Amino acid sequence: MDQELIDAQITMKFDDMTVLEDLQFKVHRNEFLVLVGPTGCGKTTLARLLGGLLKPTRGHVNIGGEQVNPKIHNISFVFQEPSCIPWRTLWDDIYMGLEIKGVDPKTSEARTREVIKLVGLDGFEAYFPKQISGGMKQRVAIARAYATKPDFLLMDEPFGHLDAQTRYLMQIEIMKIWESEKKTVAYITNNIEEAVYLATRIIVLSRLPASIKAEHHIRLARPRNLTSPDFLKLRKEIAQQCEIVE
Amino acid sequence: MANSENGGRGTLVTVGYNALALGIFILLWAALSWISESLFLPTPWTVLQAFLDLATYGDVEGINIWMHIFRSTLRIFAGFLAACVLGIPLGILMGLYPRVYDSTKSIVEPVRFIPPVAWIPLVIVLLVGFSRYAFIIWLGAFFPIFIGTLLAVKQVNPVHIDVPRSFGAKRMYIIRKIVIPSTLPDIFTAMRVGMGIGWDCIMAAEMIGGENEGLGVMILKYAELIRIEEIIVGMLVIGAIGFFINEIFIFIERRVFKWKEAVAID
Repeated sequence: MDQELIDAQITMKFDDMTVLEDLQFKVHRNEFLVLVGPTGCGKTTLARLLGGLLKPTRGHVNIGGEQVNPKIHNISFVFQEPSCIPWRTLWDDIYMGLEIKGVDPKTSEARTREVIKLVGLDGFEAYFPKQISGGMKQRVAIARAYATKPDFLLMDEPFGHLDAQTRYLMQIEIMKIWESEKKTVAYITNNIEEAVYLATRIIVLSRLPASIKAEHHIRLARPRNLTSPDFLKLRKEIAQQCEIVE
Repeated sequence: MANSENGGRGTLVTVGYNALALGIFILLWAALSWISESLFLPTPWTVLQAFLDLATYGDVEGINIWMHIFRSTLRIFAGFLAACVLGIPLGILMGLYPRVYDSTKSIVEPVRFIPPVAWIPLVIVLLVGFSRYAFIIWLGAFFPIFIGTLLAVKQVNPVHIDVPRSFGAKRMYIIRKIVIPSTLPDIFTAMRVGMGIGWDCIMAAEMIGGENEGLGVMILKYAELIRIEEIIVGMLVIGAIGFFINEIFIFIERRVFKWKEAVAID
C-alpha cells in the first residue's frame, strides 16, 4: 500500500535566487498529498517541477524510478489560473488530453462522457468557457485532468481564484471524485483548512528558500467536519508551523 | 436560439437607422448644393447621372467604370494576398522565435518606416504594369499584417500553452491547436488594417503609375478636366467598395469566432 510513485529531491534557483533548497519527499500511490506553505514560497515552481514543465537546477523528480517527462508519463495538471481554452467547447476541452495521448476516438468519447458526468457538467458539452461560471471552469479543468486516467495528478491551488463558498463546494466535490476514482494526487495550496479537509498527508513548507518544516498524517474520518475539535487542533498546529498566527 | 432571433431584429433596426441617416445626408447635400448654386458643389442627382454615364459610355477615353473598378480591385487583391501569404507565416515564425526577429530587427524596422508611397518612383523605374501596383500594395499591407501577427503570437496566454504541454503535446500540436486559433482574431484585425492601407497605396500608385485604367487614374483624369461630378463618383465608389469588403470581414469574423461573441449565462 505504501508503494512510492514519486521521488523528489530538488534544488531550484532562478538566477541568484534560491527558491527551493534541497527539498526531499516522496509521494505514495493513491495518497492525497497536500503541500501547504505561505504565499510566495515557490509552490507554483514546485508544481511545475513535479509535472516536468521545469527542470530542477540540481537533483531530480522521478516517477517510478525514471525522470519525470509528460511526453512519456501519464501525468495531469490542474492549473491555478483559469485554463479553459476559449475557442473550445467544454466537450472539446475535456477531450484534449486524450487527443494528445493518441487514445482511439471510441474510447476517448466514452471516457469524456464519463468524466463530464463525474464532475456534473452533463448538458453543458456544447458551451464555450465564456458562457460558464468560474466554478464550472475549474470543473472542466479537473475533468480534463481526470480524463486521461493519470498515474499522477497535480493540482496547483486549483480553487485559489474562487470565492469562499464555491471553493468549499468544490472541496467537497473533489473529495467525492477522488473517492470514486482514486488517483495519486499532489495538491498545492496556501489554505490550511483546505489542506486538513482534503489530505491523507500534509507536508508543511517554510518560507523562501522552501524546505520541509513538518509532516502530518491525517487520519480523520471522511467526510471531515470543519468544526470538530480534532480538525481545529490540527489546523491550529499547522497554522503555527506556517507562521500564520490565528 | 432566442438570442439569434433577437440579433436578427437588432440588425434590421440598425439597417433601418442607417438608411434613415443616409437619406438625411443626401437631403442635406441636395439642399446645400441647391442653395449655393455653385458649379463646385454638384447635386446628388448629377453625381448619380455621372455614375450612370461612366457605367454606360465609359470615361473620356471610353473606358467603363466597371473596368476601372475591376483593375483596382484585382491589383489590391493580388498585393493583399501576397502580403497575407508572406506576412502571416513570417509573423508566426518570428513570434515563436523572438531570436529571429531580434537579430533581423535592423533590417525589418527601418524598411517598415519607409512609406509605401516613397517606393513608387523606384518601382516605376524597376517594374512594369501590374507588378508595379501589386508590389506597392504588398508593401503597404505586409507590415501591418506581419507586425500584427507577430504581436498576437507574443500575447498567447501562457497557461493555454501549458495545458497541452502538461499532457506532453508536441510543438506542432501546440502551434496548430493553440497558437494559431488564439492569434486568428488578431490576425483578422491586422488583415483589415492591411486591406485599408492597400487602398491608400493603390490610389497613390495609380495616380503616379501612368496607366489609363484604375479608379485612381480615373479620378485624376477628371481632376484635370475640373469635372467635380466624376471625381466624387470615383471617391464614393472607393468608399463603397472599402465598406463592402470590411463588412465581409466582419461577417466572416462573426462566423469563425463564435466563441468570442458567446453570451455568458452568469
